[in-house]
Amino acid sequence: MSVFDIIAQYHVGLIQGLIVTFKLAMIIWFFGLLLGGVLGCASARWKKSIGVPARLCSFLLSGIPILVFLFWFHYPMQAILNVVIDPFITAVVALTIVNMFMVADLIRNVLAEFPDQYITAAKVCGLSPMQTLFDIQLPLILRQSIPGLLMIQVNMLQATLFASLISVDEIFRVAQRINSIVYRPVEVFTALAILFLIICLPLNGLALWLKNRFTRRVFER
Amino acid sequence: MLTAENIYKSYGQNQILKGIGLRVKPGKITALIGPSGSGKTTLLRCLSMLEAPNAGEINFDNKTYRFPLDAGDKIIPPWPDLTVVFQQLFLWPHLTLRENITLPLKRTGREQELEHLESLIDLFNMRLFIDRYPDETSLGQRQRAALVRALALKPKFILLDEITSSLDVEQVGLILNELKAMRDRGIGILIITHLLHFASEGADQIVFMDKGQVIESGAPAILKNPRTDRLKQFVSIVEAAT
Ligand SMILES: Nc1ncnc2c1ncn2[C@@H]1O[C@H](COP(=O)(O)OP(=O)(O)O)[C@@H](O)[C@H]1O
Ligand SMILES: [Mg+2]
Repeated sequence: MSVFDIIAQYHVGLIQGLIVTFKLAMIIWFFGLLLGGVLGCASARWKKSIGVPARLCSFLLSGIPILVFLFWFHYPMQAILNVVIDPFITAVVALTIVNMFMVADLIRNVLAEFPDQYITAAKVCGLSPMQTLFDIQLPLILRQSIPGLLMIQVNMLQATLFASLISVDEIFRVAQRINSIVYRPVEVFTALAILFLIICLPLNGLALWLKNRFTRRVFER
Repeated sequence: MLTAENIYKSYGQNQILKGIGLRVKPGKITALIGPSGSGKTTLLRCLSMLEAPNAGEINFDNKTYRFPLDAGDKIIPPWPDLTVVFQQLFLWPHLTLRENITLPLKRTGREQELEHLESLIDLFNMRLFIDRYPDETSLGQRQRAALVRALALKPKFILLDEITSSLDVEQVGLILNELKAMRDRGIGILIITHLLHFASEGADQIVFMDKGQVIESGAPAILKNPRTDRLKQFVSIVEAAT
């Protein structure tokens, strides 16, 4: 049985798994970027009251493997609170929190390092604060942050695989189940690796391209 | 007229400006000279109202601001009628040199100036690199672009902070000619420079400052015959170095 046979035979299950994976990823991407963006801006604006606690949280989070964090959310926390939450939702919440803090950290850094002198130059050239925001600040900030944000989102897509371990029926769990039927770990997991390569490589490539294309222009020699 | 009187400015414990007065007259070139660290750039930032002095008075276009400002006082931003070219230029890195120049023109309703842009580009020999990004050009090329960005706005007063450091003699001459032409159109120019011949040739008035105070000021002749020892010493050191 070759890789292609397995894909052909189990394509219905694989596609369902992929759909769950993408649903999970989309939600995590959307809320992580949105909330992380807001938290990042707030951290840059209110450095002490919001920035310090937010940085502390992301520092703590960076010390906990995502898998452990997810598990803790799934079992100990729900046992303490005496609730049972759907694993899909648990995965969404846990991974969104991770994404949010990583995004917030990146945005806060980009904002903190924004060279004020470009705003000063805009002032003395007669640009209004609104024009300065849209013509100078936003384009520079986006150029600085988009490649890093893309990388984080690729990592988050890969982190959705951990959701299989709290029994969310996403692609990895489907692959495991297929493997338990056909006993072809090499082929099954090669197929999975190829799938992820096809999805993640272009995103990473795009991030790299954007980085080379844009970020070098932000700071003068 | 753009004037500053009795300006004090400190950063933390550091007293940078200690009661400075300065007058930038329309239709005149004023050269501000002095050792590095003497507070020239700080004074320029105060004059252009980017930085509020701790004490003193600044007058621009018949509006007087007394510092520290009273609670209700608001500075009416004088830009770009009063504009600045900074030593580090601050060209926006995501725009080409041409876009750096045209963006302020478009945003401040000066589209008619776009017509004159081509002649400015030719005047400063910028045709070859005008469509490049700042990080694809040399410092000398960027200095010309930053100057043109300010000139194109047709300001009433222009303050220039050491913008000739990477230019060759010919380009410095070009800029001096252009500044003189601007002066003859009635524009007030303040130029911080370490090129004494540039100051003595081009300026109508010289102001020498040291350690946050004006030590000596007057016609360019003071560079030939300094009254104070401090200026005499400064001139001889600079001339020995160049
Ligand atoms: N933003 C600032 N914060 C603290 N110190 C400053 C700042 N800007 C300038 N200074 C200090 O003020 C002094 C004068 O600086 P500056 O006005 O740049 O001098 P100049 O332009 O004559 O070389 C220097 O000692 C410098 O370290
Ligand atoms: Mg200086």
